[in-house]
Amino acid sequence: MKYAVAIHGAPYSSQAAEHALDFMDALFASGHTVERVFFFHEGVYHGLNGQVPPQTQHNTDLQPRWADLKNQGVELGICISSGLKRGVVDASEQQRYELPSLTLANDFQLVGLGQLIAAIEASDRYIEFPA
Amino acid sequence: MKRYLFIISRAPYGSNHAFEQLEAAMVAAAFDGEVHILLRDEGVWCLQIEQNGAAVAQKTLSKVLSALPSFEIEQLHACERSVTSRGVGVSPEISVGLLSLTQQTQLIGESDIVIGGQS
Repeated sequence: MKYAVAIHGAPYSSQAAEHALDFMDALFASGHTVERVFFFHEGVYHGLNGQVPPQTQHNTDLQPRWADLKNQGVELGICISSGLKRGVVDASEQQRYELPSLTLANDFQLVGLGQLIAAIEASDRYIEFPA
Repeated sequence: MKRYLFIISRAPYGSNHAFEQLEAAMVAAAFDGEVHILLRDEGVWCLQIEQNGAAVAQKTLSKVLSALPSFEIEQLHACERSVTSRGVGVSPEISVGLLSLTQQTQLIGESDIVIGGQS
């Protein structure tokens, strides 16, 4: 089946992303596909570049896992409306608002809320991972 | 198009959650989805009469709710128990139906997509 996945929790203050990534690993292992991952509410902070993961005995760096997903062809869409006000900006928004730097991490892209609805409409299942 | 239910369970103004949920609901409606909104738990404070979002530099949520029909969202529901237990005075400008827990279960069951159910 085809899934639309939404993440509402911020990195390191919520386990939303870890749960979503593990869930998607299980989906792929079972032959399912993911139409799009949509980051909404505080979940947009996953798209910030320059994150330094905490140094623990466990590998908690999420960015390589997002990169793997992107390399598998899954779009990582950051809600532009939630993202801009929290400082997640790409090159064109940086230019538009004359901001000092772009902050969107590689592998992510800013998309409208319509892309959440479009992904849901194109999928068999929608699952969200709250904060 | 699918039938959407957006649940708002957080208080207005304390976070952006309620407003962002409403934004998403309006987009779903613009895509011709059948959109329902359910306010429950602290989310029922969005209905409170005489709100003034301007005092905290935000839009007044009760005004946004009263304008939902112009965004093609006719189905606004609230948890009756949440409203009465908090003594929320519902703004007369808002058209909202109060639902029992059983009716909410039914509403969720009848929806294809539930967004913001637990947060």
